[in-house]
Amino acid sequence: MSESPFHHLMPLCQLPARATGRICELTGDSEFCQRIREMGFGESVYVTKIAGNGTILCQLNGTRIGLSHDAARQILVERVGSR
Amino acid sequence: MAKAPVYAIVGNPNCGKSTLFNALTGLKQKVGNYPGVTVEKKTGTLYSQHGQPITIIDLPGAYSLAARSPDEAVTRDVLLGRREDTAQPDRVLCIVDATNLERNLYLVHQVLDLGRPVILILNMMDLAAQAGISIRVARLSQMLGIPVIPCEAVNGKGIIELKLAISRHDLPLSRHAWDIPAPIAPAVAELQASLVSNGGKAPLIARAEALLLLTDQDSVRVAGSAPLDAKTQEILRSWQSRWEAQGVDWAGTLVSSRYEAIGRLASEVAQSAKPSAQTLSDRIDAVVIHPLWGWVVLALVMTLLFFSIFKFAQAPMDWIGDGNAALAGWIRGLMPDGDLRNLLTDGVIGGVGTIVTFLPQILILFFFIGLLESTGYMARAAFIMDRLMGHVGLNGKSFIPLLSSYACAIPGIMATRTIEDPKDRLVTILVAPLMSCSARLPVYLLMIAALFPGPTYPIAAKVGIMVLMYALGTIGAFGFAWLFKRTLLRGKPPLMIMELPPYRLPRIKDVLLQMTERAGLFLKNAGTVILAISIVLWLLAAYPKSPAGATATEQLAHSFAGRAGHLLEPVIKPIGFDWHIGIGLISSFAAREVFVSTMGVVFSAESGGEDTTSLRHALNAARWPDGRVLFTPLVCITLMVFYVFAMQCMSTIAVVRRETNSWRWPLFQTAYMTGAAWIICFIVYQSGTALGF
Ligand SMILES: Nc1nc2c(ncn2[C@@H]2O[C@H](COP(=O)(O)OP(=O)(O)OP(=O)(O)O)[C@@H](O)[C@H]2O)c(=O)[nH]1
Ligand SMILES: [Mg+2]
Repeated sequence: MSESPFHHLMPLCQLPARATGRICELTGDSEFCQRIREMGFGESVYVTKIAGNGTILCQLNGTRIGLSHDAARQILVERVGSR
Repeated sequence: MAKAPVYAIVGNPNCGKSTLFNALTGLKQKVGNYPGVTVEKKTGTLYSQHGQPITIIDLPGAYSLAARSPDEAVTRDVLLGRREDTAQPDRVLCIVDATNLERNLYLVHQVLDLGRPVILILNMMDLAAQAGISIRVARLSQMLGIPVIPCEAVNGKGIIELKLAISRHDLPLSRHAWDIPAPIAPAVAELQASLVSNGGKAPLIARAEALLLLTDQDSVRVAGSAPLDAKTQEILRSWQSRWEAQGVDWAGTLVSSRYEAIGRLASEVAQSAKPSAQTLSDRIDAVVIHPLWGWVVLALVMTLLFFSIFKFAQAPMDWIGDGNAALAGWIRGLMPDGDLRNLLTDGVIGGVGTIVTFLPQILILFFFIGLLESTGYMARAAFIMDRLMGHVGLNGKSFIPLLSSYACAIPGIMATRTIEDPKDRLVTILVAPLMSCSARLPVYLLMIAALFPGPTYPIAAKVGIMVLMYALGTIGAFGFAWLFKRTLLRGKPPLMIMELPPYRLPRIKDVLLQMTERAGLFLKNAGTVILAISIVLWLLAAYPKSPAGATATEQLAHSFAGRAGHLLEPVIKPIGFDWHIGIGLISSFAAREVFVSTMGVVFSAESGGEDTTSLRHALNAARWPDGRVLFTPLVCITLMVFYVFAMQCMSTIAVVRRETNSWRWPLFQTAYMTGAAWIICFIVYQSGTALGF
């Protein structure tokens, strides 16, 4: 799947395992957005989901980050295919 | 430079700051493979090329200077010179994990704004090479205008080059400039001017603080101990309401403009070969954080731990026991019968000697905890616990302090500084001492020995009881956390964002260091506090002297200690304890393991100094006045349950007082834990009795 103008947004928690998404939007309160932005979850960054249904393990720029389900729900991504 | 410079080590969590600090200063800061090991500053000295002493400060890891948790606030406050007990660092050693340059450079970028000389250290170059990342060090140094030194702190590579750089008299200031986004720039300038004129700050610090004020949600926290002056506060508010009206996301804009500047840097200097296939860490994680296998692994680790405690400790424990007996026998042969001799054999050897026999088990416990900490398993345990902790009202991050509390509640409580929300932190502090710490180990082991006298009992039964006690404490901690989150300290369950470091082979040196450190503490405690308590207790048990002809038991009952025990007996009789145990309960409010030494003193005083070492036999022989056995299996279990829940540790109370900054919470904690201990023991003992045990 390549990037299309009709991108289909989904929360990070719904991304299938081993799929990669591009972060499009951070919802949630400003404090949360601020922190995850500072940790590198900025808009247009690529993130790969590694595993997890409840708590989610994802890979971002070579580091593994664990996210609570509710945190992952507030990160909206556009799927860009799997690596 | 006339004055010797002060350097602070700053970097993201788990990037190797403490490892580097140890390599530079020769000190022994704790190192572990999970974020949040260091939570307080630590000062050390390095001797420069010219023999000049240079102060180095190790700091907790932080992702940003806009601190979100107390440990990050320590770093921010030291860097900005807000701590009264610490000189403001003149220079900064910024250390980054070379495998993740971009994210790590964010903090560096903020530090460069402070206008102090910075040396940039690219750590973990070995891992970067493995991952196929190459970094053009010279180019990076040229672009930033500061020294950049590649190194592997753990292998001592690059340390010499770093020492040379640190020893330099003159260090350049960074010439890296980034443009504050246009809509925000005037606000930064105005806030900076106000901080200089109204807050009395130096211009560059003022600029950095102005930027922090804008990226932080809670301006009071950013201003640190001294609240923000009213004028600046007003300027901030007026800008914020203006931006809100215009729909400008000022904080987000600031972060992304920093990341843009960093992105340009990183793309110029770092090159990564094709994204690698599954790493070893990924393959291990596929099992360890699996929703089912993860729990199996956790259970296996725990079982192995307790099994080892029973299996491998017996022999060394017997040696120490034999040593004690021989020592007591030698003293008896050497000295005439009398109070001094009894003080040595019953008080000192009966008390301190008994405690020391548990050293092997404690070493094994710390060996395992050291392995968990240095392999990277800690963060995984937090990960698989996150879901469960969510039901309790906390998140997986709180599990790391709880896990550390299995060793000792004090480092556990310190580790809660990584928790962002103050209420969640407080809840974690309140329940952390319910996790069975190493001081309970001697009590459990003594009771299990009384429960299963002799070697005929299967080791599995002993391990089973032990696991049960640890499980009970853990369930208790979760239960009370659940209760507190719903009553006293309400709040939404916090969201967890936690980095999982790559697995590493355990560094035996680090593990042994932790073990010897803890063993040293344990022995020091035995040689000081417990020795003193044992002597005082022996005196209290030996005086006042009863009339001649009294039996040893009558003497003990007549003594001060005996009277205190009798005084407590009505309260503890409903849970199956007599006044002997009462003496132990009273004295173990100083520290839990004192129970064992107290039983040693009490029962060897009573046995008339016949046999100091075999406390287990003395316990099995103890009787109620009506001839019933005192330490029935039910009483042994009840006593263990009491120690699971009761708050009996002066040092923990002192640390909770310091970390919560009030007496309210440590007192509340002592009351609720000890109250719960009594109630639960009452239920266990009474229903056990009713069922005929
Ligand atoms: N492979 C490799 N591992 C390293 C290197 N430097 C440190 N480590 C390991 O990285 C882990 C973290 O080291 P620490 O020194 O505790 O990190 P820290 O930055 O002090 O961590 P916090 O105090 O939690 O912020 C440990 O397991 C070290 O053994 C290195 O150059 N290469
Ligand atoms: Mg550290």
